[in-house]
This record gives sequence, structure tokens and C-alpha cells, in this order.
Amino acid sequence: MTRKIPQIICALFGMTLFLLYFSQHPTARNLNLTILNDYFQIIFAFTLLVGVVSFVKVNLKAFERGEDRSYHLVSVIGVFIMPLLAIIWGIKGDSPFMWVFENIQVPMQATVFALLAFFVASASFRGFRARSVQATILLAAALIMLLSRSTIGDMIADQIPQIADWIRNYPSMAARRAILIGIGLGSLTTSLRVMVGIERTWLGGDK
Amino acid sequence: MKKLESRHYVFLGLFVVILLTMLLNVRLEIRVSPETQKMYNYIDSLPEGSVLMVSFDHEASAVPEIKPLALSILRHAFKKGHKLIGVSLLAEGTGIGYRLMQETAGEYNKVYGRDLVYLGFKPQYIAAILSMGESIPETFPEDYLGRPYTQFPLLDSVKNYDNVAGVISIADGSLTTHWIEYAHARYHVPVTAAVAAVMMTTYDPYISSGQLHAMVGGLRGAAEYEKLLKIGGSGRRGMLAQTSAHLYVIAMIIAGNIVYFLRRNKRVKS
Amino acid sequence: MLLYLTKLALVPAVAWFDVSKLPVLISAVIAVVIVLYTTYSRKSRERFKIREIAGLKAIEEAIGRATEMALPVLYTPGWGGDIQRPTTIASLNILSHIAEKTAQYNCHLLFPTHDPVIMSVAQEVVRESYARAGFIDRFKEDDIRYVTSSQFGYAAAVEGLITRLKPASIFLLGTFEAESLILAETGNIAGAIQIAGTDSTIQLSFFIVACDYTLIGEELFAASGYLSGDRSIMASIRAQDILKIIIIIFMVTAVLWASFAPSADWWVFR
Repeated sequence: MTRKIPQIICALFGMTLFLLYFSQHPTARNLNLTILNDYFQIIFAFTLLVGVVSFVKVNLKAFERGEDRSYHLVSVIGVFIMPLLAIIWGIKGDSPFMWVFENIQVPMQATVFALLAFFVASASFRGFRARSVQATILLAAALIMLLSRSTIGDMIADQIPQIADWIRNYPSMAARRAILIGIGLGSLTTSLRVMVGIERTWLGGDK
Repeated sequence: MKKLESRHYVFLGLFVVILLTMLLNVRLEIRVSPETQKMYNYIDSLPEGSVLMVSFDHEASAVPEIKPLALSILRHAFKKGHKLIGVSLLAEGTGIGYRLMQETAGEYNKVYGRDLVYLGFKPQYIAAILSMGESIPETFPEDYLGRPYTQFPLLDSVKNYDNVAGVISIADGSLTTHWIEYAHARYHVPVTAAVAAVMMTTYDPYISSGQLHAMVGGLRGAAEYEKLLKIGGSGRRGMLAQTSAHLYVIAMIIAGNIVYFLRRNKRVKS
Repeated sequence: MLLYLTKLALVPAVAWFDVSKLPVLISAVIAVVIVLYTTYSRKSRERFKIREIAGLKAIEEAIGRATEMALPVLYTPGWGGDIQRPTTIASLNILSHIAEKTAQYNCHLLFPTHDPVIMSVAQEVVRESYARAGFIDRFKEDDIRYVTSSQFGYAAAVEGLITRLKPASIFLLGTFEAESLILAETGNIAGAIQIAGTDSTIQLSFFIVACDYTLIGEELFAASGYLSGDRSIMASIRAQDILKIIIIIFMVTAVLWASFAPSADWWVFR
């Protein structure tokens, strides 16, 4: 029974949203708005609470056990400091919250994002080897794309950006479209399996 | 101390190359790509006073790449006399979007409430996009600063996407896909995008099918846009560093292959 | 009177159903009927086999390796998805199978995620798997943890876990964005055996370079039937092939039609 109720709710909401897609009637649009604007946002607010509670619990327990104490301490302090700043001084304009956001969070996140450049370099060094004909074609395509996205490509030959555009617009796009169609169909069947109750793993299992 | 591995030298080399080229501050000449030109033409051809929705769908991490793109688009829109409604579907983009809109509005003497309004953040992006298709005032009853929607003359006639000329999604990830799949497919609002370079190929199929009207991407896209606007900016400033980094990666690929063939020959001989 | 009756009969019907969406309705009905028929028809469920998927076959080997080395298994569904996304559901199906194995082998399973809802559902999935394996006492709720909703905060947290705990096997299955290469390269540096799979086409290239096995797009969705051996789930995968054949026929027809009648566009959905 505990599995049946969520299954019924899932099927009901899935069907309702599917049918509402085809209607422009004011009643249908209002119902759509209520589901999207009210139900979803309320659920979101509660889930955030679940996340924060779990985060604090996990980090405090790890701190107690003495595992990587400094990391867990910083995490817990961050979770409490930011809402505190927001409650006291607000989050607009030149508030302390925005100062912390712009001067600590933005640079820290940009640093992690910048790691990508280093990993791209090391992955290229390791991954792009002319082991076979196919790998060599891949290698040549990568070199042309890299040249075309920098100014050097324009300087060497006008054809380089054109070849790069051709690679993006034909072979690459054809492959991606095929994968996308497969993904779309996979999503469709998975969604239907969930709606009709064949797929129950998301509820924890079969019982 | 741990012994350095080959990847550490690769990382160190890249760091040195980028640092040196950033310090040089040289501007390279670039060619404007057809896709950037299309984006420029789109904003340029809209009638003066058109209402555009600009969505800041990015996180704090992508600011160095996204900011020059966003500034170019906003400057162009304000310069052409368009009216902008700002929203954000990712919490971290909210404050950044507000700052960027305020900064560019100041440059063109635009008045808040008449020429621009910033509605702020709404969680659950798919639900938010669909919900705005039904009613923007019900999705955002207040602006970012907590003032009622009805207070702004710009928003008097804006009820849903029917009253918006287009949506510009400024994104570092796949959020633009949701604008295409939900706002464009369902409510037929034209969607354009300014995206991080890494995401450009993701959107190629949508550009080709016409579902995404136009797109400008990456630091190079920002540099091209700055060239079209005849202004300076961090896009053009960053092109030397980007070009050098690309050349460095090419050098790494060549070095990797030399190492591979040398080792293979050695194995064959032995 | 006649006019009034006509209005009464026609207007509500038009308003309740948006005729412009008729092609979508027809396509959706065809797809739904095919999926339901193949799923429930006995004939379809008999004599049906899925080809071998190397990435899924390697799961046992990956968990076995972690058990032998007494190191944890790390599983993460990526930053790009939420529980509404079918990819996340497909990923949780694979998690269920992996959790059952780690319970049997008494191997430590870690599941960091960016979404509190995914965390709650994953806790239920893993708990149920441990119970099914008969080792509910080995289940630790805190191993399935929410780290942060921020993209690169999540990437940094997972990267930190990989660097500190050195998992022997890493599963990157779900919707990934720019964090994909950071995680995959860190796992590679840590020497883990890595099985990845995603519906993000752009990230597939990164996974192919940095991981040992990669599930491409729809293979991720087929995994549920492949791993569980459930006949009805496997039969629904056959529906995908039937729909693919229909799409191919449609595409070939449209291409030929366009070749002989360039002005025709009956296949374009607006």
C-alpha cells in the first residue's frame, strides 16, 4: 500500500500534465500554473530543508569521529554563516552576504571551473593518440577545432574556420542527433514505465 | 616531497603560458563568425522598444567567460533602445545578473522600471519556464528588490511570453535547452543564447533546426561581438591567452603522439 | 439561434484542445501505444535478448576490485539532473543493482549528490537493495549524502572525496555538465576503474577519453532491463527500436520528398 499511493500520484500527475500540454483553455492553463507555480515550489522548499539537515548531520558526525576535521568545520560554518548574513543584512546590493558571495564564493568556484583547462591539457596529452585510422581522423578534427576557436586559425588560412564549421555542422551534428534521438526514445520509455508502474526502483523497490 | 609526474609538468606549462600572455595585454585581430553576426543582426533588427527577457542561467564559476558575453549583449540591447526584463533560473546567477544589468543600464542612462526590470530568481527551472508561459506576474509577483510587479510601467503590458519579443538565455550549462524545449516549443517565443564555449556544440542541432534562433559563444564570441559593437572589453583582451592555451594543447597533443610512437618503435625493436 | 448553437458546440471544443498541437498528439499516441503493446504483449516478451553492453558487464569486475583492495566504490549521478529527469531514474535503477552487490561483498558504497530529493530517493533505493541482499545492518544512511547544489561546489566536494578516499571503482552515471572531466580525470589520477554513462552528448567525449567504459545515451536507459532481467522492462526496450525504425522511415521519406519537391514542407512541425 505504501508503494501504491505514490505510484497513483505519479501516474495521475503525469497524465494530467501530459493532457494539459494540449489545451489552451483558461481552466487548463490555470491548473497548469497552480501545479507548476505552487506545488513544485512548495515541494522544492521542503526538499532544501531535507538537504540542509542531512548535510549538517553528516558533517557533524564526521567531525565527531575526527575525520578531516578542518573540511567539515569549514562546511558547517559556511552553512550557518551565509543564512545569518542574509537574515541580518539582506542579500541585495552591497550587503555583507553579497561581499562574501562575490569575493569568496565566485573566485573559489571559478578556480574549480578553471581546473578544466588543466584537465583538458592532460587528457589531450594522454588521449589523442594516432593509434588507428579512426583515432587519426579524430585527432585531425580536434586540431582543426582548436585552431578555429583561436585567432591563429584565421591567420593561417581562411579555410580553417570553414572546415571547423563543416565538422560541427555535418559529421558531428549527425552523430549527436542520432544519439539525441536514442536518448529521447529512452526517456520516453523510462517515463512511461514509471507512470504505469512497471519501473518501481525510484520507490525503493518492488514491495 | 612527492615526485612530480608528467601531468604536473603539463599543468605547470599551461599556467605559465596563460599567465605570461595575460600580462602582455595584446589585442589580436579576429574574424566575426556567421553565428555571432546572426545574433548581432537579430538584436539589431528588432524594432526599437522591443521587450526582451534576459535570463541569467549560469553559476558563479563561469563569470570570467560569461561576463564579457553578457555585457556585450546587454550593451547592444540598451544601445538599440530595447527594454529588458531580467530573470535568473540559477540562484548564483541572480546577484551577478542584477549587477550586470545595473552596470550597463547606467552606461546608457536607462531608468529602472521604465527601460529595465529585474525580477530575480525562481527555483525549479522547468516549472518556472512553463509557469511564465502562463503568467509572468503570478510567477514573479515582485521584482528582485521586493517591489510589486504592478508598480513598473514596463510591465504593464507584459503578461506572458506573448508580450515578449524574445528570450536571451545567458548560460554556462544546458539550461538553454529547457528554454528551447519548453518556452519555444510550447509557447513559440523566439529563444537565443549566449553560452560558454564548451556548450556550443550541444546547441548546434537546435540552431540547425531553427528551434534556437541565434547563438554566440565563448570568449571568442564575446570578442567578436565587441568588435561588431566597436567597443573594447575583456573578450578581446582574453583572446591572446585563449589562443596561446589552444596552441599549448596542440603542442601537448603532438608531444603525446611523439612519445607514443617512440615507445611503440622501442617495443617493436625489442 | 443556429449561430449561438454553433458557437456553443465549436468554441469550447477548440479552446479545450489546441489544434496546432495535433501532430504532437498523434506522435505521442503512436509512441505510447507501441510502448504499452510491446510491454504487455506476451509474444513481445518471449524470445527477446539485449546485446551485450561492455560497461554494464564490467560492473561486477569493478565491485570485485574494490572489495579485494578494501577500498570504497563511489557512485554519483552528476550535477545536471533532478528526480524528474528519466536519466536520473535510469541511474537509480543501476544504483539499485550496484548497491545489492556492494551489500553482498561488504564493500563501502559512497553516493554524493547535489540534490536533496535524489538523496532521499537514493537512500530508499540503497536501503531496499541492502535488505534484498540480506545485509540491512551494513547500510549506512550517511553514505548517501547531499553535498551542495552548486555545480563546482559539488565538483570540488566529489573531487575531494576521490582524492582523500581513493575509491577503487567510480561510477559516473546520470546527467553531467562541465564537471564531468574534472571528476573523470581526478578518478583517472586516483587509479580507479571508471564506468561512466550520460545523456549529455557533449560530455560523452570527455568520458570516452578519461574512463574505462562509457554507456552512450540510450544504453543508460536499457541498463535497468539488462541488469534486472525483468521481461516487461526488456520488452519496453524493443519499443525503442520500433520507434527508431518509424523515425528512420519518416526521415528517408522526407529527404526523398524534399529532393524531388524542394518547396514541400509537410513534415515541418510548427
